Amino acid sequence: MARVYVSSVINAPAAKVWARVRDFNGLPNWHPGIAESRIENGEPADKVGCVRAFALRNGDRLREKLLGLSDFDMLCTYSILDSPMPLTNYVASLRLTPVTDQDHTFIEWSADFDCAPELEAELVSGVGGNVFQTGFDALNRAFGA
Amino acid sequence: MPRVVRSTIIDAPVERLWAVLRDFNGHESWHPIVAKSTIERGYPSDKIGCVRRFTMQDGAELREQLLALSDLDMTFSYCLLETPIPLFNYVAHVRLLPVTDGNRSFWQWEGRFTTPAGRETELADLVANDVYSNGIAAVRQLPELAG
Repeated sequence: MARVYVSSVINAPAAKVWARVRDFNGLPNWHPGIAESRIENGEPADKVGCVRAFALRNGDRLREKLLGLSDFDMLCTYSILDSPMPLTNYVASLRLTPVTDQDHTFIEWSADFDCAPELEAELVSGVGGNVFQTGFDALNRAFGA
Repeated sequence: MPRVVRSTIIDAPVERLWAVLRDFNGHESWHPIVAKSTIERGYPSDKIGCVRRFTMQDGAELREQLLALSDLDMTFSYCLLETPIPLFNYVAHVRLLPVTDGNRSFWQWEGRFTTPAGRETELADLVANDVYSNGIAAVRQLPELAG
């Protein structure tokens, strides 16, 4: 099983960052790689079990299922149902923790998945870099780092 | 039950910070309020259940017991056994996580406890400031974590 872990510090209070990222249908509002998103079957975006169908700027389409959402822990967990990437059993978590001495946010994004061994390095760097770190960089720009 | 949390970012790789913090007998080399630390009964300082005895700068004595330590998770937990300050049921958790963006470290120090009625705020401030924030500030200055 491959694992990706990427973390950063956002120069804004955790409550503000959480307000931005907790919307499971909100990726196009903050992640530069995502063009459009909708929740299937008209369900609310914070209904655990709901499915988001979204398109990347390159035209790829993905479906992901919300597995867990906690405002108390500022934690969101989801899985991939359909994607063009050659991986299976993909489960990812996005978690925020306050940095109390500066009123900033420690942000972690991690994923576990299965894939062919020869593809692992490329998938790990693609998910960690193009998806996760790109998202962090966009949040840092949005919050004026 | 008061809960106190202090967290910070240290500009050093997490393995280096963990090497400093995982020593349950290490406070005397960095914490400004601890004058002397020993582990009772000659136990190693990473033996679960070992007890550290602090002599504080003001001469008071304090005993704390290691409840859990994980090198994999870079976490440890401990409780107060004896203290001159009326903190009861005190359990603390320390947790480190890597900040991959910049090869830095996230450090969280958290405690829960009870106090005599009416002294919650005073004692929470003491734990948060005198123990946690002052400790964090001292570790930040350690030469082995600089550069």
